Amino acid sequence: MPTLDLETIKKEIIDSQLWRSVFRGGVWKDTPRDRAGHIIGNVWLHLHPVKARPRALEWAYTWGMGGISFALYLLLTITGVVLMFYYRPTIGLAYRDIKDLEFAVTLGMFLRNAHRWAAQAMVVSVIAHMVRVFLTGAYKKPREFNWGIGVLLLTLTLFLSFTGYLLPWDQLAIWAVTVGTNMAGATPVLGNEGPLGALVGMRINNDVRFTLLGGTMVGENTLLRFYVMHCVAVPLVVGILLILHFWRIRKDSFSAAPYQANEEKIDVWPHLVKKEYFGAAMTTVFIMVWSILQNAPLEAIANPNVTTNPSKAPWYFVGLQELLVYFDPWIAGVVMPGLIIVGLIAIPYIDTNPKGIGYYAWKERPFANTLFMLGVVMWFALIYIGYALRGPNYAWYWPWESWYMLKAAPPPTWSVFGPTGVGKFSMFLGIPLIGAASAAWLLLPKLIQKELDGLKTMGAFLGVIALFAVGGMAMGKMGPIEGAFLLFFTGASFYFGFVLPQRHIRTLDWARYLTTMVLVISTMSVLLKMCARLAFNIKYVLTIPSISMNI
Amino acid sequence: MSYRKAFIVSNALLLGVFIWAFAKDFLAPWRPYQAKYYEMAGEVLDKQAASEKDPKKAADLKAAAYKVRHSPMEIKQIIVGDLGRFDRCVTCHVGMDEYTNPTLKNGFKENPYKSHPKVDEALVKAHPFTKFGCTGCHSGQGLATSVEAAHGWVKHWEKPMLKGVHIQGSCVKCHGNFETLKGAETAAKGKKLFNQHGCQGCHMISGFGGTTSVALDDIADKPFERIAGYNFKRVRIDGKELPDEHHDSHWNIQNWILGHLTNDPAEVTPNDPFAHLNAEPIPPSGMPDFRSELSREDADAIVAYLSGQTKEEQIPYRYHVPGPPAKDPALSGLAHGRYVFQKYGCAGCHGIDAKLGRRRINAMGPGQEEYDEKMPEAQLFANMNKGAEPTLPDLMGTYKAAELITKIENGVPAADAKKWNPKGPLPMVTMPAWKGKISKHELDDLAAWLLSIAKKDDSGF
Repeated sequence: MPTLDLETIKKEIIDSQLWRSVFRGGVWKDTPRDRAGHIIGNVWLHLHPVKARPRALEWAYTWGMGGISFALYLLLTITGVVLMFYYRPTIGLAYRDIKDLEFAVTLGMFLRNAHRWAAQAMVVSVIAHMVRVFLTGAYKKPREFNWGIGVLLLTLTLFLSFTGYLLPWDQLAIWAVTVGTNMAGATPVLGNEGPLGALVGMRINNDVRFTLLGGTMVGENTLLRFYVMHCVAVPLVVGILLILHFWRIRKDSFSAAPYQANEEKIDVWPHLVKKEYFGAAMTTVFIMVWSILQNAPLEAIANPNVTTNPSKAPWYFVGLQELLVYFDPWIAGVVMPGLIIVGLIAIPYIDTNPKGIGYYAWKERPFANTLFMLGVVMWFALIYIGYALRGPNYAWYWPWESWYMLKAAPPPTWSVFGPTGVGKFSMFLGIPLIGAASAAWLLLPKLIQKELDGLKTMGAFLGVIALFAVGGMAMGKMGPIEGAFLLFFTGASFYFGFVLPQRHIRTLDWARYLTTMVLVISTMSVLLKMCARLAFNIKYVLTIPSISMNI
Repeated sequence: MSYRKAFIVSNALLLGVFIWAFAKDFLAPWRPYQAKYYEMAGEVLDKQAASEKDPKKAADLKAAAYKVRHSPMEIKQIIVGDLGRFDRCVTCHVGMDEYTNPTLKNGFKENPYKSHPKVDEALVKAHPFTKFGCTGCHSGQGLATSVEAAHGWVKHWEKPMLKGVHIQGSCVKCHGNFETLKGAETAAKGKKLFNQHGCQGCHMISGFGGTTSVALDDIADKPFERIAGYNFKRVRIDGKELPDEHHDSHWNIQNWILGHLTNDPAEVTPNDPFAHLNAEPIPPSGMPDFRSELSREDADAIVAYLSGQTKEEQIPYRYHVPGPPAKDPALSGLAHGRYVFQKYGCAGCHGIDAKLGRRRINAMGPGQEEYDEKMPEAQLFANMNKGAEPTLPDLMGTYKAAELITKIENGVPAADAKKWNPKGPLPMVTMPAWKGKISKHELDDLAAWLLSIAKKDDSGF
């Protein structure tokens, strides 16, 4: 009787013609050659290099966020394709199909939850990936281009999530999308409500919003357009960019960290692949558990005649929606996001600091890190305000206040320069004054050759503002809360927008310096306008109604 | 932990979580109900088999019991294409499913096992389930398969199952002749009360009635988004505050209407009479307080009637039963005048048979104190609350018929209203202009009747 020898059986199987025809390579001896062959000989793995630097594989260095984002993308593709079997994108059927998924389809609710939560998680993980890459300076030469692709991928991730938001066709969906797409109508020149839009013949039925919606309001065509964009068009573009992204990661080499003595590369198989697998598996487990425990929201069927109060954009865009309180839609919905995208892509080309590539180096790159993290914190702070602190009529409700409490109508607002403003002459007074102030802000940090003493400068500035506030209070123009607002917001803007640039980037060449300053001042303008609106009820600093130009 | 172990553990976790997800899906809430139904139905057949003398019949019954016990577990649904309904109610209420229980009868007493009551009566026979589904009459969420969601006791399902007499509203949806219909008596009573108390004076239905307040043709469809949450929060049913919207389905249109009839509407919608939150004072709801005139049953009857006022549902025309054409009773003289008063809803403000002018906040009224700016707000409001529409018998003596007709035809402009509190809101609900709405003949009789009820003092004037 033959004995049952596992090793022999294994060998028999591996040496069989069938196995050999499927898997290339000989008997697995775990030699470096075998490991390399595993990567090269496998179509799914061959975007990896054969060997990588050990540093690039540490969780503490990468946070695993890039890989997790991709794992979520795959998870979304799989759940999305399955969901497509059950979903018909027409306004008569879409909502019912979602109800069917919820109540009648086997695992339907689970699938929908998984798709929904994975999408939310992907937005977070992609942003976290960007933060990590920034903090380790991994966008610097020669990786500028790949960073740019990453920014586009981030934008497309948000857009994918946004287009998917409409598909359930419930009240949450159409009003979120209405809020989001209305901003497109305010695009300068291309939108019918944007500055100069009317001049070039933009109407509600031929502008960029109309193109996006396939109509003048969210309806049947919009649902079809969003469906096609969500399921086909955008994923294709994302797929193409992903391949580019991965290819460039490999070609530009995995890690930018400075070489250490005696550093030896390690085999990607199994060291990296096993980490990737573990990360993806844990991500999937996390999404599955989340999907079991919590159901995706579904409100009443969409009704264009009944506006929800408050109507909010999807959470990742609520920050921009919150900006609508402070700015006109063309700034909040078009210029600001545009500046964010363009500014992010520009970062590698304006950051000439050779230090801090491939490791966390706050001290070596104080300016870049501080300003970037300020932007990230502001993005999420605005989201928090818009999401958690805004109740019916978009009034401010503290977390401990019930939305069933009536709030006073907001106090009347006023404009500084404009037809009804305090200084009435926008053209003769407003533009020159604001222009001069901006120009001074733009140029002074570089023109002051000597490095300012941070403490002393800040002390002097805050002193002046405090005097101003005390004067205002004495004249009865403001209370202590307004004074505190003024001190905080102008102080922050002055520190981040003037002192830091003066100390750190005044030696940049003019082109880079000016680009950086424009981005910095735009960021600070958000802070300053928030202060003006929240504490002083200023609607516009400058308004020229004839061309819908309001700042 | 080595990665080999991590590999094994993570795979085990994936499998485990997937089994968890599948188990949760498999153990859907409708399953136990259906299983228990089959078990109970099997038991009944077994008992019949045990008492059956004929061994062949007994064997058949036993086989039937076996078959019932081993019926497949499935989501059952009634598809009503005409009404666009997909009612899965019979998934749990198996006794009401014609395919599982062809007789539509069983001896069970409890929901969801019991069969539909009154299946032999004309009412049910005229509405076969296959043609009308369940939610066509009962409302609720037909697509859902869990207890809370199916009955509509969840957030974002705005038409939960109709309770008690309110279901008679469903008759009103199709039956124009519901007033003579057996089974729709409460809704008919509701309509009668609605007209008797003059609701149509302000609320138009089907093109008839005043335009002072919202038309009620589609009140059953009123989206909750249009009802401010803080106002819904003030509705009290039987003296109790409604549970929080997030946990219950008591926030429904029936309770909203009921809340207006069993509460003081000015308390439900107080608005901002002292301009605390707005630049101008905003008057409370102008709807009179009907608590002294309507019992809880009366209020429920009106709710039942109004629950049928819907336009949302696409009910095919062949489902509609037209009512008899509206016809005025053959009356003449004073009796006709009194009828005209009632027909146009004058009672809404001037009281039934013009006996008592109803409340009109911040108008002048009997029993008010002298206005004093320094009064505390509560006292101010108490006085404003005493403002009233004129009690007609007190006034009529000062009019001649022609003057009266002119006054009714032209109405009283809102701006002419005299405020008790000059800083308070404008009194709501002013006399509308009736010119062109009430015919000449009707006006003459109305004026004659009004003059006939004028109070005459003892001296003979």
